[in-house]
Amino acid sequence: MSHFSGNKTAIKIIRTMVMLALGVTAFHANAETTVNIGYQAPFTGEYAQYGIMFRNAATLALNEFNQSHRLAGAKVNIEFEDSKGDAKEGVTIAHKFSDDASIVGVIGDFSSTVSIAAAKVYAETHVAQLSQTASHPDFVKISPWQFRNIITEAYEGPFMANWLYQNGVRKVAVINIQNDWGQTASKNFINAFTSRGGVVTTAEPFNPGTRDFRSILTKIARTNPDAIYLCLFYEDGAAVLQQKAQLGLNAKVYGSSAIYEKKLIDLAGPAANGLKLSTTFAVNSPAQNVRAFVKSYESHFKAEPSMFAGQAYDATNIMLDAIVKAGGAKATRDGVRKALAETKNFPGVTGNTTFDPVTREPTKVLTHLQIRNGEFVAVSE
Amino acid sequence: MFDFLDIFFVQQLINGLAQGLVYALMAIGFTLIFGVLNVVNFAHGEVYMLGAFVGLLVIQVWAPPLVAVILVVVVVGLLLGVGLERVAFRPFRRFNDEASLKSKALREATLLSSLAISIFVRELTQTYFGSEMQAIPQRYLLMTPIKIGALNLVSGQLVILGVGLLMFLVLQYTLFHTRVGLSIRAVANNLSGATHVGINVGQTIIATFVIGSILGAVSGALVGLYTGNIYAQMGFAPGIKAFVAMVMGGLSSIPGAVISALVLGVSESIATQFISQGWSDLISYGLLVLTLLVFPRGLFGGSDERV
Amino acid sequence: MNVYKAWPRLVPLLALLAIYAGLVAAGSGYAYRVATTVAIMGLLAASANLITGVAGLMTLGHAAFYGIGAYTAALASSDWGAPPVVTLLLAGLVTSLVGLLVAWLTRKLVSVHFAVATLGVGQVIYVTMLNWVDFTRGPMGITDIPGLGAHSDAGNLAIVTAVCAVLLWGLSRIIHSYFGNALRALREDERCVAAMGLSPARLKIQAMGLSCFCAGVAGALWAHSTRYISPADFRFTESISILAMVVVGGLGSLPGALLGALILTLFPELLRSLGDYRMMAISGIMFASILFLPRGLFGEASALRLLKRHFNWQGAQ
Repeated sequence: MSHFSGNKTAIKIIRTMVMLALGVTAFHANAETTVNIGYQAPFTGEYAQYGIMFRNAATLALNEFNQSHRLAGAKVNIEFEDSKGDAKEGVTIAHKFSDDASIVGVIGDFSSTVSIAAAKVYAETHVAQLSQTASHPDFVKISPWQFRNIITEAYEGPFMANWLYQNGVRKVAVINIQNDWGQTASKNFINAFTSRGGVVTTAEPFNPGTRDFRSILTKIARTNPDAIYLCLFYEDGAAVLQQKAQLGLNAKVYGSSAIYEKKLIDLAGPAANGLKLSTTFAVNSPAQNVRAFVKSYESHFKAEPSMFAGQAYDATNIMLDAIVKAGGAKATRDGVRKALAETKNFPGVTGNTTFDPVTREPTKVLTHLQIRNGEFVAVSE
Repeated sequence: MFDFLDIFFVQQLINGLAQGLVYALMAIGFTLIFGVLNVVNFAHGEVYMLGAFVGLLVIQVWAPPLVAVILVVVVVGLLLGVGLERVAFRPFRRFNDEASLKSKALREATLLSSLAISIFVRELTQTYFGSEMQAIPQRYLLMTPIKIGALNLVSGQLVILGVGLLMFLVLQYTLFHTRVGLSIRAVANNLSGATHVGINVGQTIIATFVIGSILGAVSGALVGLYTGNIYAQMGFAPGIKAFVAMVMGGLSSIPGAVISALVLGVSESIATQFISQGWSDLISYGLLVLTLLVFPRGLFGGSDERV
Repeated sequence: MNVYKAWPRLVPLLALLAIYAGLVAAGSGYAYRVATTVAIMGLLAASANLITGVAGLMTLGHAAFYGIGAYTAALASSDWGAPPVVTLLLAGLVTSLVGLLVAWLTRKLVSVHFAVATLGVGQVIYVTMLNWVDFTRGPMGITDIPGLGAHSDAGNLAIVTAVCAVLLWGLSRIIHSYFGNALRALREDERCVAAMGLSPARLKIQAMGLSCFCAGVAGALWAHSTRYISPADFRFTESISILAMVVVGGLGSLPGALLGALILTLFPELLRSLGDYRMMAISGIMFASILFLPRGLFGEASALRLLKRHFNWQGAQ
């Protein structure tokens, strides 16, 4: 009878799972002279491309570090775990990393949503967490254990507002992706721009996953702004730029640093020319460390690194540096946290990073870029 | 009060119709399969996505004229249809009588199996190609702007309109003027009757899948070239809209599905004019719920059937 | 009750409890977290099972109700400082009310139409959560949700387990009652039910109300144990996961729903070593389970047959 076979199979499956579970939790062998860092990021799912960039850059930084033998007689290892961009997974991974006594610090996650969910765990289990991209204003306020090395919108918003105003823009329309980053970016920009005396003709949020922006652009066209400010990522940006060209909309376009990505030009083609944006990381910067990083990344991964890769590279190096300062192989979680908090003028490919002693917010410097003839070019106006 | 009825409004209407056509393209194939087999094919979105990827691969490797690309996509659609039927649906059709074929257990089993397949295919594509959008050679993009007075159209929109019409007409012709179409309609109408008249149910089911998948794959390729977005997740959201359009239109009515898809697209577009785009998503789903409340079986739904 | 005859049904349940106990005994934060997730997902799957498995109405928007419960609890506790006891109850009630409203609106819809209507409702709720920034804080989510009040991880897990166990027991009683029978009749043939003098609409509304109450409490438990929620936790893909749990475990059977939740929560954890190929493996498992065990791992027919044998009940089957 079928219910018996169902039962038997159920029992078999349960037995296998129990054995697997016991096997997994029992296995914890770690070499003595290996220090571990946990890295959580989305390696599958819709944000997988960013997680993979992080993994690439982090591995690069790790290999350089281990080969330099800065830690005499010890090696550092990174444990990567896939959070799928899902807060549920992020929390589970946070517990997993916290339980592993050999992990002295964690880097991750990609989005603020997942980073914050995981942060709640790290705040209680006392593990330092450095996010390379979480920009939600509440993130570092959760506990003294949270850090981030990405520019916050509280700085970028006014920076961009000033730039637009200086270029004669008095009426602007804003398009932002409806997630925590997009909302923060839009709000900060609008506050800064209006307090300088400019007018925001309309602010248009769109749900993540939207591919057709024509309705939004037509609505904006009707309000006749001088410029459009984009708080979104490069894929949405490419669609906006192309559709804007198709609709014959002539307003100038500015973008935040999140839009900086070589593939934007591949996707948008000639429609991308003229876009102005800010960035902390410029691929053709003459700085020596940037050139070395770009060359190394290109030779290993056959692609140009983006700002996200640069952020991960710097975050990994900051964490590694903190481990060395905290005692290397003898580093404790407390020690790593303390060392991270004392990071000052750390040289990175995204500029120097300093963590404010009180708020732990990073201070970074933005530069101006524009796309001309299919290339990102540094500009002054 | 009516000052919004200006040229921008007309532009929004056109935007909406274009978007609705995109949904309609996918809805046609989806509805065909559901109408005949009473199965929700969650993997249809992946056929759409694979059509786009195959089109892109063909462009990257051989760079032939667009018509040749479409032909290859048609062939691939055919193969995908056959494969899908064999893997996701045939193993669950253990018995070929009417009661079994229309049973809830089969519906749920095929729903889950097609869902599992769709996840698998999506993840596989993502592992191989990455989750980002693929770059398309500029000259293949159906994005040339066409200006008609003050209105802005895009060549891709006209192509999709043309192809959509063509698909619809070809489908209507096939269904009503060929033997294959006749057997499809017979199987959809009364399965045991069809068997008694000598129609090969198994082959008819395969034919339905093939036709539906060809339509899906070609839609994917065209929409991919029109929007410039080809990526592993591209079939998911349009798939949901197509499903919604199908049910709103009355389950087995292809004209109904197309009209509902257009209504959905236009409502989204017009709503954006007054409220933010985020909320306009709500309008289309709200419209769906409203339609179902007033027409419990969809706009063009037939009378209910008994198993 | 003859233990020997009940053995086939009890063993999977005992094994389930054994795994759960094993997780609790492992004592690590990770194990506690997984156990909490299993318990909450189990409750959620069981509530979805009441509508989909027992009453035969496939629901594609269940995650939204779960979300309403979570948001109610989160807002009540972070804005008004309500203690967990109050928030759990409130979450259940509010979600139940919404569920009753939805069920009343859709009372005339059957099968696919009902499924799509729930899909629509689910999306409407999700979009509202995402865009009604003034009320729900939109995509920023709610970050300052207090915990369940126990002083240790083990204590919190105990609370979650207790609440889930109570509700699951309640669901089990409902399923094996005359009301449950009526729902099963509704699944098999709605018109016969009407012909027998019962009101299908009322049955649907009642089932939905009960199911949504449990889903709401599950959401509240989630909010308090994770301490941070955002709209992204309650999208359509979550509804599909819940549906998958119910179907894999066996439509209509409560132990089946629990088992489905256990498998679909535990396997992704165990397969972490597969890295990027994990989701492919999971979908493969789903496909295999539906292919080789079409009635799920623990189909309902066995539960019915069991009842018949136990109580010599002519009513079943």
